[in-house]
Amino acid sequence: MTAIPLVFALLAAGIWFAAIAERFASARRFPSAIVLAPLWQAARLLSQQRVRTEYPDALNWALAPLVYGALAVAGLSVVPFAPGLVVAPLDTGIVLWGACEALTIVAVFLHGWSANSMLPLIGGYRFVAIGLPAMLLSMFVLIAAALPAQSLAVGAIVESQRSMWNMVRQPLGLPLFLLLGLAISLRGPMDYGDASDLSGGTAAEVSGPHRLAWGIARLAMLTAFAAMGASVFLGGYLGPWLPGPAWLALKTAALLLVLTWLGCNLARMPAPRMMAALWLVLLPLSFLDLVIAGVEALL
Amino acid sequence: MAVRALAWLAERSATPVYIACGQDGDAMAARLAQVPAISLQHSIRHAAILLVAGPYRDADRPALRRLHDQLPHPRATVWWGAVPLAEAQDAVTIAQGDHPVARLRRLDRNLLRGERASEPDWLPDEPPNEWRGKGDHGQGGEGMMGGVPYGRPMAMMGEEMRDALMLDAMTITIGPFLRTLPPGLSLELTLQGDVIQQARVVTPAYPASGGASEPLLRAARMLESLGLPDLARRAQISAMRDSAEGLLAAARRCGALLALPAELADVRARLEAALRGGTAPDPGEEWLVDRLAGMEWQSALLRIASFDPATLAQIAPAAEPDEDEEDGDEKERAA
Repeated sequence: MTAIPLVFALLAAGIWFAAIAERFASARRFPSAIVLAPLWQAARLLSQQRVRTEYPDALNWALAPLVYGALAVAGLSVVPFAPGLVVAPLDTGIVLWGACEALTIVAVFLHGWSANSMLPLIGGYRFVAIGLPAMLLSMFVLIAAALPAQSLAVGAIVESQRSMWNMVRQPLGLPLFLLLGLAISLRGPMDYGDASDLSGGTAAEVSGPHRLAWGIARLAMLTAFAAMGASVFLGGYLGPWLPGPAWLALKTAALLLVLTWLGCNLARMPAPRMMAALWLVLLPLSFLDLVIAGVEALL
Repeated sequence: MAVRALAWLAERSATPVYIACGQDGDAMAARLAQVPAISLQHSIRHAAILLVAGPYRDADRPALRRLHDQLPHPRATVWWGAVPLAEAQDAVTIAQGDHPVARLRRLDRNLLRGERASEPDWLPDEPPNEWRGKGDHGQGGEGMMGGVPYGRPMAMMGEEMRDALMLDAMTITIGPFLRTLPPGLSLELTLQGDVIQQARVVTPAYPASGGASEPLLRAARMLESLGLPDLARRAQISAMRDSAEGLLAAARRCGALLALPAELADVRARLEAALRGGTAPDPGEEWLVDRLAGMEWQSALLRIASFDPATLAQIAPAAEPDEDEEDGDEKERAA
């Protein structure tokens, strides 16, 4: 059960690291001690009142960040830190991760719907519209990554990359998977739930500790996603000299940096254009990725 | 002890400010863009201080009061080149020519430490209008839907204009202090999902502000709606320096122009011109409200933000109030 503390340690470190990376990427270098900036921001939110809108669905509003965070933890539970060092060594780990991705739609929609306010509601259902095709994209690239391993267990997928990482073997897989990461952590070009054009979308009406919880849940999901991406496409814990957990942490950090950079530097298309891009371009590309993986598995 | 420790930590973070832009407020906001100690927020719920920048109209007073009451505690209002409302006790005022950062930081610190009392509500905690529904449980619509109880329109089924499906329609008012809209512009929108079915101008935008830097300030607003806050801040800083150098290339690298579809070619042209520090002329032959019908939310905001003030004044004058609209009918909250 040493894997359980590792899951929470990776989550905590990932949340902290991503929060710092965000500030660094946006060049808002205030205060000078950037490493402590997330702590100061958390203290501010804890000092602020938690506002209540008129007739919200209070229970679901409070539950949404908890569900979102719990999904990140559940998703991370199938990621191995070393051979045999995993919280939930499921033969169908990828399926569990897929379920966590899909349920993220529920958590984000609940957050938008429960506030009983127009802009969060629009954020909620706009996310549902974009989230669904983004999830499909992820399913295809994950199945393609599972083909060389001939298993749906994340550990087996990691082991199948001893000779070659999936990032090299299936070059379309990681870029497509990263798009999903941006979507489920509500980030940059795929942030249709909490976007600035909706004054913060599903989070437009939240303040204080509630906003802190939502922010932590978003970063937790980003971290869980980066760890899964590192395992499925970058060989997870595999690597020379260092122990497995250290390699996983390093690769997770690398993906966190890439995701943060993409989030800060790519424009967000209007939703109909993104829908068209997802259904007409990116989903066919994910089929192609699957076909390439299938042909390679047959050869 | 714990509260004091929390305040000690919290006051080291940037001060979250919601800026309500009056006349010239846009250019004043840009002066804060390069100050890392101030963080301009998109939602009033995320701020600690409401900064009223520049003179506002009498017609904007109700919206300002509603905006203020949505600030979470501990909270304060700062009047920067604006006359405080009568409700504002112990008002903090700053001359338009002065830089407000030091006062904002001090005020924030005093609020966090409890050395300054948080401001009370300016409006009574009651519905803005009387109950106008029909019957004990009816709200004036059909079944459980529609109507305007307490002056707030409820969702009601209606034909969606693109495919005639029956969907919930909802009417809200946005502005005049919404950051993604030109300052002063307030619109009443009837939405089905995120698609605008109908629009009406409630109050027009303020006349041109920012002088020669206006195009860059406008570009900054569009970049915000495209999810590029860092580039938007860069555009604001460029506006203060009167130099658009490198902005267009940076916007291209981020895909800001590519993100706009063919239907928004006019918006793309205006964004490109604004990033060069110029203005793409518009014939101004069609009303703004007609150009918004059928557009989804983000595209509509981008189109609204793309017009220069002279064109906006021409195509978006205040509409005549509806004949059946009663006095004091305050619908959805502003901003």
